[in-house]
Amino acid sequence: MEIKFSIRRHDPMDRESPGPYYREYVVDAAEGMTVLEALLKISEEEDPTLAFRRSCRSAICGSCAMTVNGFARLTCNLQVIPEYEKMGAMRIEPLANHRVVKDLVVDMAPFWEKMEKAAPFLMPAGGSETSPVTIEDQARIDESQRCIMCGCCNAECNSLEIDERFIAPAASAKAWRFVGDVREGHQAKRLERLSEEHGIWDCVRCIHCTQYCPKDVKPLKQIESLRSAAMKAGVLDNPGARHVEAMADSVERFGRLDEAAMTFKTLGFLRSLGMIPLGLKLERHGKMPRPYLFPQIMEIDEVRAIYDEIEKKSGLKPKKEE
Amino acid sequence: MAEELKYAYYPGCVSQHMTRETNDATRLIAGKLGIGLYDMPRANCCGAGLLTDYDYKLYLALNARIFAEAEAMEMDIMTICSTCLMVMSAANRDLKRDPRLLEETNQVLAAAGLHYSGKVEVKQLLWVLAGDYGLERLKEQVTRPLGRLKVAPFYGCHSLRPSDALGFDDPEKPWSLEATIRALGAEPVEYRGKTKCCGFQVDLVAEKTATKMTGVRLLDGKRNGADCFVTPCPFCHINLDNYQGLAEKSVDERIDMPVFHLSQLVGLAMGLSPKELGLSRHLVSPERVLK
Ligand code: SF4
Ligand code: SF4
Ligand code: FES
Repeated sequence: MEIKFSIRRHDPMDRESPGPYYREYVVDAAEGMTVLEALLKISEEEDPTLAFRRSCRSAICGSCAMTVNGFARLTCNLQVIPEYEKMGAMRIEPLANHRVVKDLVVDMAPFWEKMEKAAPFLMPAGGSETSPVTIEDQARIDESQRCIMCGCCNAECNSLEIDERFIAPAASAKAWRFVGDVREGHQAKRLERLSEEHGIWDCVRCIHCTQYCPKDVKPLKQIESLRSAAMKAGVLDNPGARHVEAMADSVERFGRLDEAAMTFKTLGFLRSLGMIPLGLKLERHGKMPRPYLFPQIMEIDEVRAIYDEIEKKSGLKPKKEE
Repeated sequence: MAEELKYAYYPGCVSQHMTRETNDATRLIAGKLGIGLYDMPRANCCGAGLLTDYDYKLYLALNARIFAEAEAMEMDIMTICSTCLMVMSAANRDLKRDPRLLEETNQVLAAAGLHYSGKVEVKQLLWVLAGDYGLERLKEQVTRPLGRLKVAPFYGCHSLRPSDALGFDDPEKPWSLEATIRALGAEPVEYRGKTKCCGFQVDLVAEKTATKMTGVRLLDGKRNGADCFVTPCPFCHINLDNYQGLAEKSVDERIDMPVFHLSQLVGLAMGLSPKELGLSRHLVSPERVLK
């Protein structure tokens, strides 16, 4: 089957070359051929100047990650014909949210810098080196251990797209690998650092990382685990944790989300004042949320009974900082 | 006669308050289409994604309480909020997938005298129209086709992902919103950002990220020729419409883009008036595109 590939070309180092531009190649795709095999065919038979990375060809090394028809994929485990049949096109571009070095090769340095920020090594407390690790302990961090550092999640991350300083999903998932490890001795310190600006609370929960991770690491789930652990460890003095606390409180009181109370509790008095101009505009359109005027849902006692039951089981209610 | 479509109706907190125009419009169009919406007076908030950060088991139990109510009504749930859809669907997926988790959650529910056996499905208005009701049937109800209107479909994230919990549409090649726009006689606009995030989850937490994200999405649709946006999610609506002024500042460009709730666009094509559909509640007036 002959399939037209449209490939983004760009050599930012070559001042003379035009770019970026798309060049088309026709590939005779056999059943089962992967996108990476097609690229190898193009570079071997037609255009040796096409730059791209690959190594293991078995979805293990992570180096062949690219954008295929708009979404981050490992090209070595993506078959050409089904992808083409689904999308009606074959457009290959470098990973998004990364600087292009040449053609399909991107600069991974910021990716590694974020990883380093997550301190990807165990720092056991004294004596814990020999502490037993149960199967359940291991299972908690299983998913975050599967990462092959391909960068697909960061390429799809909506928050990273807007804020390049955001810690982003790959390093967050890695952070849970250590925070969630029973042998780790510095959870609280780690959680404090992760809760700083541009940290875990800046994730917009778009789920793209989880959807496009080829190894099912589920980075968003690991971020949720970090946030939950941070709250339980009493790391509450930040807008993200305050926002969640306000929600939990609102649901327990009214059974509903109380927009006004949440704004006030998350931002505090002074920053809420900054919302006044927008508030006035909303008021004119009848959209200003009213604090505490919310009707309670029926049978709110059932909701409270559920809170109590969970609290009994897991000692909920995050500790306030003294 | 086709059997009446009946749903346990879960508007979500934000559509009962800040964006209540979409709740009103939904009830109006459902009435005209003959879709039965039955209120859930006991239903609690799904947690809007935030309770998962607080405690996963609490999030599961509170969502299971919603499902138990629908189960007692012997109906599936219909919501008009993509975030509620995602949050409830993910909880439902986890509970249905893992009998031990369901059992454990039921032990918590027992404290409130409740039980969920795992039978409920969760849908949103878009799926009900494009799936259960059917777009051919919807077309027959269109009395004032929205000719010439170029509409940017804004799915946002939560009506498509995680696809293993939602399932109705394809996250890489979605069709339902475009097909609905076409059924109403308007023209869908293609643009990259249609399945990306509006940023609402961090409106109060990382405001700069949120407003810029909203601005980038609006400009993306605008540059691809949209006259207006439509979204199935009230939270997306809040960012795209209410916060458009802030978004304009963050991208340093005037945008002036009307944003419809899905229910309103359907209502307009069915001949309902802007007043009935609460269009005056929008901060960016849609008047210009309705002439
Ligand atoms: S869910 Fe959060 S971390 Fe994952 S891609 Fe979206 S913004 Fe990034
Ligand atoms: S979390 Fe998944 S997508 Fe992200 S770098 Fe690791 S393997 Fe790749
Ligand atoms: S070449 Fe190693 S993951 Fe694709």
